[in-house]
Amino acid sequence: MTPTETSSIAREVRIGARPETIFPFLTDPDLFGRWGGAATLEPEPGGIFRMDVDGAHIARGEYVMVDPPHRVVFTWGWEAEDTLVPPGSSTVEITLTPDGEDTIVRLVHRELPSKESADSHASGWEHYLERLEIVGAGGDPGPDPWAQRATADAG
Amino acid sequence: MLRAIAEPNRRRILELVSSRELSAGEIASRFDVTRPAISQHLTVLKQAGLVAERREGTRRIYSAHTEGLIELRGFLDQFWADALDRLKVAAEQTEKGRNR
Repeated sequence: MTPTETSSIAREVRIGARPETIFPFLTDPDLFGRWGGAATLEPEPGGIFRMDVDGAHIARGEYVMVDPPHRVVFTWGWEAEDTLVPPGSSTVEITLTPDGEDTIVRLVHRELPSKESADSHASGWEHYLERLEIVGAGGDPGPDPWAQRATADAG
Repeated sequence: MLRAIAEPNRRRILELVSSRELSAGEIASRFDVTRPAISQHLTVLKQAGLVAERREGTRRIYSAHTEGLIELRGFLDQFWADALDRLKVAAEQTEKGRNR
């Protein structure tokens, strides 16, 4: 198992606004807060990128490239200890491409742990992924051996 | 894949119990849907191993292990999709404001 096995997420959205209108939403903390979450942003290479993802989990990184109004690149990871995705380990690139009066916004989140590398992590989330797939397909995954271990005394 | 957390109410339940334990009643009181519907969501989440259930007298108490959940590619995929939708709404409002 090498630690270099990674995967990426790519998302695209068409927005009825010009790149010049959209770009500040990627670099201004107040505007960023309207879509990504409360943030501390220093939009220059090496500057802080820190966002509150869901009120409980903080992501942190650094801006790598700030090229208004076309492209922003920052590193990204969880601030928590013992995480599969520590700060600096993954990269988010957002590109703005004008298309008529609209802009195509493309977000690519790279160097995330692959399922294979996650499998080797102590938290063993692959275990739950498999169970989720069974339940999602309407099946019964049977008793969870890990949960059984935890609730054996209560039974 | 990940249908157990793809359903919005189940995602909200997971968020609610991610920071603290809650009883089934406390969870249900935060939703407009019926109590049996919440029970069903909790059953799916429990079967998938995403939430743990313990009993305290007649109450059932639920908690989640989201430190692990949040590692999931599926979580981030959904998070960025939702975030970009919000960006679209906010940017288009700003654009309209400028053209006025």
